[in-house]
Order: sequence, then structure tokens, then C-alpha cells
Amino acid sequence: MSLLKLSCSNFRRSVREYAVLIISLAFSVFIFFNFQNVIYSDAMDVLANMNKDYIDMVIQAASVVFSVFMLFFTWYATNVFLNQRKKEIGIYIFMGLDNARIGKMYALEAFFTGVTAWAAGTAAGAGFSKLFQMLLLKMADISADIRFSFSLRPVLITAGVFWLIYGLMIIKGYHSIVKSSVLDLLTGAKKEEMKPERPLWAAVKSVLGTAVLLSGYICSMHTGEEETLLFVLAAVILVIVGIYLLYNGLIPFVVRKMCRNKNYLYQKEHILWVNSLAYRIRKNFRMYAIVTVLMTAAVTVLGTAFAMQHRYDKMVHFQEMYTYQVISFGPELDRTEIIQGIEENNQVEYSNELTILALPSEYFDTMYTNAGYAVVSESQIRQAAEEVGLDWDYPELGEDQAVDLSHVMILSLLSPDKTTVINGRQYDVLATDDTAYLGDLQRSMDITVLSDSQYAELKPYGSEMKIYNFKIADSDKLEKVNASADYIRSLSQQSEDGTYEVGSNIIYPESNEDSYIRVAYSVCVFMFATLILAAGSIIFLKVGNDAREDRERYTILKKIGISEKILWKSAGKELRFTYYCPFVLMAVNSIFAIRALGSVMREDLTYVNVISALSILILFTLIYLISLRNYGKRAIE
Amino acid sequence: MEKKILEIRNLTKGFGRRGGYEYRVIKGINMDVYSGDFIAVMGPSGAGKTTLLNLLSTLDKPDGGSIILDREDLIKTGNKRLSEIRRDKIGFIFQEYNLLDNMSLEDNIALPLALNGVKSREVEMRVRKMADMFGLGEHLKKYPYQLSGGQKQRGASARALVTEPEILFADEPTGALDSRSSRELLMSLKNANDSGKATILMVTHDAYAASYAKQVYFLADGQIQCRLVRKEDRKEFYEKILDLQISMGGERE
Repeated sequence: MSLLKLSCSNFRRSVREYAVLIISLAFSVFIFFNFQNVIYSDAMDVLANMNKDYIDMVIQAASVVFSVFMLFFTWYATNVFLNQRKKEIGIYIFMGLDNARIGKMYALEAFFTGVTAWAAGTAAGAGFSKLFQMLLLKMADISADIRFSFSLRPVLITAGVFWLIYGLMIIKGYHSIVKSSVLDLLTGAKKEEMKPERPLWAAVKSVLGTAVLLSGYICSMHTGEEETLLFVLAAVILVIVGIYLLYNGLIPFVVRKMCRNKNYLYQKEHILWVNSLAYRIRKNFRMYAIVTVLMTAAVTVLGTAFAMQHRYDKMVHFQEMYTYQVISFGPELDRTEIIQGIEENNQVEYSNELTILALPSEYFDTMYTNAGYAVVSESQIRQAAEEVGLDWDYPELGEDQAVDLSHVMILSLLSPDKTTVINGRQYDVLATDDTAYLGDLQRSMDITVLSDSQYAELKPYGSEMKIYNFKIADSDKLEKVNASADYIRSLSQQSEDGTYEVGSNIIYPESNEDSYIRVAYSVCVFMFATLILAAGSIIFLKVGNDAREDRERYTILKKIGISEKILWKSAGKELRFTYYCPFVLMAVNSIFAIRALGSVMREDLTYVNVISALSILILFTLIYLISLRNYGKRAIE
Repeated sequence: MEKKILEIRNLTKGFGRRGGYEYRVIKGINMDVYSGDFIAVMGPSGAGKTTLLNLLSTLDKPDGGSIILDREDLIKTGNKRLSEIRRDKIGFIFQEYNLLDNMSLEDNIALPLALNGVKSREVEMRVRKMADMFGLGEHLKKYPYQLSGGQKQRGASARALVTEPEILFADEPTGALDSRSSRELLMSLKNANDSGKATILMVTHDAYAASYAKQVYFLADGQIQCRLVRKEDRKEFYEKILDLQISMGGERE
């Protein structure tokens, strides 16, 4: 029988055993293909006017993140596969096959697995591409007709990326088999796992890991203040390292302690599952760490998605505070007259007017000389707010107090100023307020509220602008906004030298210029689902692999009269630890991660934390139940 | 009179069947085991030794006859109860040591007690006692891979006896051991038997191992052909067993 035929028949025989590996690889291919398909197919050309370039960029970024993830995932999954196969195909040593040929046999089997996964993933990807895009847009709340479209490029790119990663893993596996000793191939490295660790080293690792993790948490608490980016980076690195050390130090240490505490260990099934855990945890600590980090990343991604979506809605709401803004640098206009003009076509819901003082940038302590700067008096803003029903809850401003008016942004890594200097005088900034008192204008200018007397002092240095704001009913309907647009434009006046004395600003309903954010949101939700599924399937793969090894142990236990009921109970407890330990750590991590994200994005994301933790809990419980059934069938029954 | 632990009547077991050819492995065996007995069952390969042991130890179901263990007929007992009987009344030692490689020797021995809900202090005490009896006191913290074959088998015996079962079934316990380890194991079993802690039924093809027993049953062709009761010292008994083996058609090694 040739090597090819042998591998072929091996593969056919064990295809069911590798189902999980094949399905998870195929799923990665499926997602990756669909991301690429969104970029290269013309299905989304309907979004041309919605900055498809941006959408492509978002998806390309997601693809890159996803390829990195795919690399690690494939690495892990093929490693599990390799260890499984090593022992089995190691038997062929007795048939006179040398390492190189066994390696080739493995490579061929792995190749068949890859082809199956790749073909299935691509076929499913192409088949469901329309559904995927519909879902993507549905979640993004963009209505568009999607046509089914298929092009070769995403297929080729997906194949390229997949085979590059998977090919590397095949070569790695081949190399590992060729380099293995015959004994390794036959027995696997079992004895390695049980060597007791030097107590000092274990203690150092435990303390270090806990310290690193805690300092990561502390760093995360400092985000949203000075040096946010630095703290975010430090927190991410420290938490990842901390998790790694925790699984390699403190947790095995605790489990070993549980093993030594016979009072605890000799309570019913504890003796079985705690021993099994202690035996495994050092071998599997990388898996636990990867899964925990993946899940934390997933929750953070979901938090980002929700926050972005929320911020985006707020941003739109901010911009659409007023429909028309008329700005006069000179003549005073009659607001009632303008209202009458608008009301020829529309109904004005509310309006206000106020005067602000535009100041040249040199009066401000700033490096952005091209930005527009202005101050507004407290009484003006209070009155304007009152007219349109906004709150201005600040106590009367002192001589050296100020309130900065900012606008809603998607993300800000800058911390708000605590003081501001205008014309050489320093003011304490009481608050940075992103209420849209001045509507869209607040986006393009830096506006500071000062006490009336300070305003009066600065008046000689700048020029006053009178601003008239109007909001019409049904301002979300383009035709309504357009109906009075000509009238508003007609109010503009140019002086003889061509500069505008009166200008206007018309805010059209959601201009879609930022709707890529909505697509980014749905991509993030997909990423969340994918990462969580991946985390679940990594544990599933590992448990499946353990089942093969445990079968012998359960046979012994049954022989000495241990009932299946007790064995199921013990297996259930061990698997519960395997699934829920990373979950609990993830939950703790995510509290800090989401809090940090919340402070950077200025959003309260607690609900995201709860929703994501609950959805992961439900998913993991499902996977746990399936996994336990599968494990029991393989190992116990 | 010692208490009767096991009563076997007219036990039969066959393989094959359902219209096809049926091969009867056990053909009507009768046997009584009393508390404090140390019985060896000998016979050539294929005589039905292991099948008999599997039937007695409830791992397999007979086709006919009865096995009464401690006044309970095992043939009429449901699986759940059988599992309990295996747990509470029967101890096993196998040719392969069957220790769990993922726990220390101490935990291996403690396993049946802990799973039975015995208090941890008592578990520890009994494990220690058993380990001492089998000369394993210094090895309790070791994992099976750190033990020799003999130590592992003694560990398995300690585990089998720690629950103080009514009877210990041993299936070729010295099969994988060198002569020194075999001797140590058999001595330990003998001590356990002598001190009144164990009633043992051992299946073996090895006359030397059998010579440690108080009685030897010879099984051939699915039936008990004869029985030797030890009255002399072990060496003479060993000679007797060998002679009987030859007279029954076996070879003297």
C-alpha cells in the first residue's frame, strides 16, 4: 500500500474524530472569506455614497486581526491534532516506516483535513455570502438591497492566507515528527507532566503573576486620565502576561494545594477530578491563557462596538440639534422674521439666539492655530439653553472659572483640560460639557463659557458673532430640510470685499458620511461571536483530546467497582472547571477592560459587560453540556 | 466454622451461540469459599480461569447456575446493586497494575475509601496501615511512574484491600513481575491472609504463585478437575502442585 493510499484510508477512517478540527478550521475560512467578499464583491456597491472606502478599511482591519487570530487558532488546533496522531501513527514504526515517512503520512493526512476544511469553508462562505452581508447591514441598520455576487479574488485571498498559515503548521508538524525519538512517538511525553515543580519557583511565579495582573488592573483604572494611551497599552500587556503567569503559577499552585489537603481531597469525587486537574493543568496552561485572553478581547471588542454605536447615535443627535444656523458677523437679524420665512414651508419646533466672541488663536495657549476659538458669556448660554429646553446646571461662574463646550466624539484619548489660559489669564475648567448648546457649530469651534464680566473684559480683543438657531419639525426628512434651504441661503450677505457678513449652516439629516461606523459596529459584533466560538471550540478540542487519554483511566475505575454515576459526576466537575475557570477570569478582566473602554469612550458600558458575560455564559454552558456528553461517551461509556 | 462467603453452584458460561456454534468455557463449576481462605485456581491457557474470575467478580454474567456472595445471589442482582457489591464487598488485582497514573500512590490506595464517603482522617489512617502492610510506607507520595512493577502491584493490592472487602480476586497478579517482586507480592498477600484481613481467590498458571495459597483448584476444560489442600510447608506444597500438574498433562518447568 502506498503512503498516499495509507494516509487516505487513515483520513477516511478518522474523519469523524477530526470533525471538530475540520469544522473550526472551516468556520475560520468561512468568516475570513466573507470579510474579503464584502470588500471585493460588487454586492455592497449600493453603499458607494456611504464611504465604501471606509467600510473596506474597517473590514480590512478586521481581516488582519482575524488572520492573526487564525494563525494562533490553527497553531493550537493542529498541535492538538499532531499529538493525537503522533501516538497512533507512531505504531507504524513497527511496520518498518521511518520517521520521515511517518512525517509524510502525517503531512498528507493534515493536508486532506485542510483541503476538506478549506473547501467546506469556502463553499459555505460563498453560499451564505448574501446572508452574511444582509446580516452585516441589518445589524448596521442600513437598508440596502443586496445582490448575490461572487468573484474570484476573495476566494484566492482566502486560500492564500489559509494555506500560508496551515501550510506552515503542516511543515511544523512534519518537522516535529521527523525530530521525535521513536519512544516519543509511541508514548508521548507523559512523565514530563507530573514532575513536581520546585516550590520556590512556583511561589515566585504565583506572586509575580498575581502582582503583574493586579498592576494591569490598576493601569486600566487610570485610563481616561493623563497618558491614557500609555496606560491602555500597559494594561493590555500586563493583563496578558499576568493571565499567562496565573495559569502557570497561582492556579496550579492552588490546585496542588487542594491535592495535598487530604481533608478536602478525600471528599467523594474530589479525589478523581482534582487529581486529574492537577495532572493536566500544567500541560494545558497555555490553552487556558489563550482562551481567557481571547474571551477578554471578544468582550472588549463587543464593548467597543456598542460604545461606537451609542456614540454615533449621540453624535448624530448632537449634529441635528438645530436644522439651520444663521451666523452674523455684523448686522443684527430679526429672529421672528427668519422664523416666518422658514414657516412658509416648515414648522419651527424651537429656536434661540446668542452672541459669542470669536478670538484669534494667539489669545489661547494652544498649538492648533487654525482652529476657531470663541468665548461665550454665561448669561447668554443660560438663556439660549433655556429657550430650547436644555439644562445649564452650573452655579454662577467665578472670575477664574470656565466651562469648556466640546462635542460628542467616537473616541478621545485626550483627557479634558483642567485649566485653560485665555489672554494670559488662567481659568479653572469646571467641566467639559458636550451638550449641543451651539449645535453643529460646537464641532468646528473651541468654545469656552466665561462669567459675564470676564467676557466683557475680553470683548475688545475679538469680534462678536450673533448666532440664530432653528430646529424644524421632521428635520430627519431631507425634503423638509431642503424646502427652506433656499430661503436660509438667501439670508447670506457678502460685504464688498467678498467676505461673508452673514453666513448659514444647513444640517442635513444623517449625512451618512460616518455610516462606516455602523458597519464597523456590526463587524465588531461578528468578531465577538467568532472569538467566543473560537474560545469555546479550543476548549472543546482539548476536552475531546483528553477523552481519548482518559478512557484507560475510566476503564480501570470501572473495573475496581466505581459506578458510572460517580465517574460522570467527576467528569462533570472537571469539565466545569475547564469551561468556567477561563470564564470567571474573563469576567473579572472584562470589568476592568470595559471600565477602561468606558472611560476612554466616555460611555457607561456596564450593560455591555453584563450582556456579554451572560451571552458567553449561556454559550459556554451549551458547549459544556455537549462537550460533557461527548466526553462521557468517548471516555466513560 | 468459618463464615461462608461465596457459594458457587453449577456455574456455566458459553461463547458464540444464536444459531451458530457454541463453545462452553465453564461447564458446571461448584465451589465454596470461606472467610480466611486463600485459594489459587490453576489451569492451562484456555481452561476458563479468567472467565471464571470475571463471573465471580461480577464483571461478566453467567449463562446458568448461581453465585451467592454473602447471602446475595449475584445472578439475580441488578447492575446498580452489582456496582455497589463490587465497590463494597469485592477487591480486585489484575495482571496490569491498573493504578491511575495521574495520582500519587497514596491517593490511588485512598480512592475507593474516599469515593465511599469514608471520613478523610480514617482514610488516611487506613491507607497508612495498608501501605505498611505492603511495604510501601516510604513510597506513598510517589506517582506510579516512579514505582517499580512490584511496588505498583503491591499498591494495587493495598488499594484492593483497603476497603476490607469480603473477598479479593486476583487475576495473574504476578504475571508481569520478576521473581523477586513476585515473591514480595505473594508474601504480602499471604500476610494479609494470615492476619485475617483478606480472603483471596487468585487465578494463576504459575505453580510458584499458587504454592502461597492454602488450597489449589485445578481447572481444565471448564471444570474443576481436582483440589489440593496445603498441609505441609510451602516448598513441599509447591512440589506437590508441580507433580499434579504433570500428572494432569502439563509440563514441569
